[in-house]
Parts: sequence; structure tokens; C-alpha cells
Amino acid sequence: MRVLIQLRPSPDVVAAVAAPDLVATTADVTGELPGVALDHSFTPVALPQAQPATTGGDPLSLHQPLVFSMAPEEASVLVRGEISDDVSSARLALLPGRRMDVVGVYADPVIETSLTCGGTPPVGTWQDVARLLDVTRLRSEGYDGTGVALAVCDTGINAAHVTHQLGRDITIDGDRSWIPGGVSGKAGSFAVDHGTMCAFDALIAAPGASLIDVPVLLSRRPGGTAIDGLLSDAVAAFAHLRTVLEAQPGATRALVISNSWGSFSPAWDLAPGQPGNYSDNAAHPFNIIVGSLEQAGADILFAAGNCGAECKDRRCAYKGRPIVGANSHPQVLSIGGVDTNGERVGYSSQGPGRLSDRKPDICTYTHFSGSKAFGDDQPDSGTSAACPVAAGLVAALRTRWPASQLPPSQLRTLLHRTAVDRSDVGFDYDYGYGIADTGAILRVLERRAMRSPV
Amino acid sequence: MVGMVLVTVQLPPEATLAQAMRQLGLNEDEVDTAYGLVPLDPAQGLYALRVTEDAGDRVTPAAGGPFSDPPIEPYGPPR
Repeated sequence: MRVLIQLRPSPDVVAAVAAPDLVATTADVTGELPGVALDHSFTPVALPQAQPATTGGDPLSLHQPLVFSMAPEEASVLVRGEISDDVSSARLALLPGRRMDVVGVYADPVIETSLTCGGTPPVGTWQDVARLLDVTRLRSEGYDGTGVALAVCDTGINAAHVTHQLGRDITIDGDRSWIPGGVSGKAGSFAVDHGTMCAFDALIAAPGASLIDVPVLLSRRPGGTAIDGLLSDAVAAFAHLRTVLEAQPGATRALVISNSWGSFSPAWDLAPGQPGNYSDNAAHPFNIIVGSLEQAGADILFAAGNCGAECKDRRCAYKGRPIVGANSHPQVLSIGGVDTNGERVGYSSQGPGRLSDRKPDICTYTHFSGSKAFGDDQPDSGTSAACPVAAGLVAALRTRWPASQLPPSQLRTLLHRTAVDRSDVGFDYDYGYGIADTGAILRVLERRAMRSPV
Repeated sequence: MVGMVLVTVQLPPEATLAQAMRQLGLNEDEVDTAYGLVPLDPAQGLYALRVTEDAGDRVTPAAGGPFSDPPIEPYGPPR
């Protein structure tokens, strides 16, 4: 085990270690210590002596006013080393008795941030995500997404890439897909990019779902920029998706819409409070169509965003409350991200939301090795990945529970109630209601089916 | 906000862009005709169209808005 060894060498050595203009080495401070492999790369550190601040104070108590002395006769020095893990506690206790200059030996535990951020390596694989979502059980009970339409509103899907990475065929529903005017290409044949990652991730839990390709982010309308779609494109896409939904028989309607996009900056929006504003305004046309589509039976999921306080995306420009517009709509599921260890990733946006306070709704998995859409060693990351993972779970549930029997609002409540609470206090702005829990969801659905057989 | 904006209008079912433009007094130079007339909420007879900022300012309050049309981006990967 790694240890820190507190030594009291001669005052001149302590003075040399403490001097800001000198660099003392471990060899300057001590010779070999029995049973210790000294770390000579570690620069010794002078440690002041704590003393009672008042005359007559307890010299062995730290629970009183203290002063700290760096006087060479009183201060000590820390060096670093390693001792055998074999009976390490005994070695820690015996070492001070072997050398008079050893004041104490302390464990030097590894400290590291466990926070997953943009640029950190993948945490687990998509097979881990499948295990965590209990996909085997889902499939064995007939929840595999077959017959469910799953729309991926993004940069378009490359079906060949998804098929190759998943190792199985997938279904692209070309007839019900929608391509914005001015965008060339056909459903399932777009360049490998963000939308391909989303499609892959959605199919983890719903391998039988029919993917509806909606490359809304490829649109280039007059007035837009060279790199983004516009919200008006999303309005048009959602109008198309309502025709898809309404063409389905009422009794078996099942349309899940995954949206891993949003607006990063207020600069292109009107200020909150102005009638034409988007970020805070439920009356904006896009927020209206989101509500009407959900009312018609669609399950709409939005990524919460990557503006978490600990390591937000550099594009995040909202001063606070970064879950804006439809991403915070009360009739959508706003999805935060956790890694496969169940820890919130540092970039996952925190609530409250702007249209409704209780955002994000729930969390699912992200930052795992999956589609390899951005390179073999790059994770499927962001709440961009968590959202389609959740959408796949919802699509799987829709296999046996169409909207006529479990309306979208009830499904959201089901996901809230069954999520694994990470805060121990119920809803919180980091994890929402918690991490989606397939087992708990299926138990509730079993009880519901017994009361009113599907 | 630059460029174009969204406005909303109440129209009967199966309405056309031409009807919307007539009702709001808009000409083709002021409207993104490729975008067309998009139904927002059929039950309410509510539609959206995309117009220039000047036209958006002029047609209200006969129309709803003008509403912002901000760029949208994929969220990932985090940068």
C-alpha cells in the first residue's frame, strides 16, 4: 500500500524543505527506511505543527483554537513510499518504533474524480447497457419493439453502420420516414454521424422496432446557419409524425420519438417574457405541436442536454436552468445521463427546467462503447445517447402496451414511480426521479395486466 | 434574432398556404413557400408559417407571434 511518512529530520533539513527557493529531495530528508520503498519522485513537503493558540491549552487536542508553526524545530516533513500489503497494519504500527525520526505513517489512498465528462474514455459497453436494462428479460416477455414505430429526429441514420455494429439486421421504415426539403439522400443512407449513434442506442432495448428516419438537423433553410437545422424544421417534422400516428389504428397506436438535440444559446431567441420567445414559452409553435402530438398518443423523449455544472459543453450559453424549451416540456420525458456504474455524468444538465420545474424526468445510460459512430475508441456519449437508450426502453414497453391502454402521461408516471431513486429523497434535479428500472416497470405492468388483461 | 420568424394562424381544416397568405395579406416574397403551411394542432385549427421578420411584425395581431426560429443542434458528443 502507498503511505505517507511523517519525519522529523534535523532543523536545517526542515528549513531546506520549507524554503520556497530550494528544492529538497527525499534522499536529502532520509536514508532508507526499513520495509519501505521510498518514492523518490515525490518532493518532500514541510508540515507545520499545530499548537494551542492559548497558553495552557491541551497540546494533544485539535478541537480548540490553534496556531501553526513552521519553525524548523517544530515543523516536520512528509515523504511518500510504499509498503507491502502483507500485514500492512502491523507494518504501519511498527515503523515509528524502528526509527526515532519517524513521527507517523499514514495511508495514502488513491484520490480521483469518478466523474465522467466529455473526453473521458468509455465506461462499459453497450452490452453492459443491455444487461442493466435487462433486455434478455424484456425479449423473453415479448417486449422487443416489434410493430412499434421509433422515430429518430437527428442527422439521419446510416443503416449499414448500425447493422454492422449491432451484428444483426435492422428495420428502416422508409415509407414513414421524412426528409426535409432541400436535403438529399434517402432514409437509412445518411453519413455516419450523431443520428446513427442515436439509432444504434435506441435498438439496444428495442431491436424489433421500425426506425423512422427524420434527419431534421440536416435542413438548411434561409435564415439558418451553415451548421444547424432550425426549430421550424422540427415543427414540420412533428407535423409529419402526427400523420404517421394518426394513420395507425387507434387501438394499437405506438410511436416513440427520440430527440437528442436542442438550443444551446439564448442569442438566437427572443428574451424570456417576450411573446415570441421559445425557451420559456409554452405557447411557442414548437411547444404547441409537442403537446398536441403527445395528446394524440406519441411518447416524446428529449435529451436533457449537456450543460451539467461539473463539466458542461462549451457551447452552453444559458446562464442558468439550461433545460429549455421542449426539452423541459411537461408532456415529454427529459432524459439525463448516468454511466454504466450508475453515476451521473458531469455534463448531464440539471433542473429545474424552464417550461416545467421537475426536469430531468429520469436518467438512463450513456458514455459507453457502442455504435463507434465517432471512432472505434469513442463512446456513445452525452445525454444524446441516454435519450435514445430510454426511447428504446419505451418502444420495448409499447410492444405490448399501446397508447390506447397506457397513455403517454401514464407511461411517464410509471417510469417516474419505478425509477431507482439516487438521492434517497425522491425527485432531485440531478437524477430526476432516478434511473430507469426495467424490473420494477415490468412488475407494475404485470399487476396492471392482471387487473385488466391486455 | 435574424432572418425569418414563425407566425401562427387559425384556419379551417385542410387549409392551404394560399388561404393563409390571403388571410394575412402576405405576398410570396415575404413567405418561405417551400416550408409551406404546417398544421400545429388540427383540433384547434392552428397552423404555422415562416415569414420575414418585417412581415411577422406587420401581420400580428391577426396572426400569433412572431415567434423565434432558433438554430437547433445535436447535443453530442459533449465538447
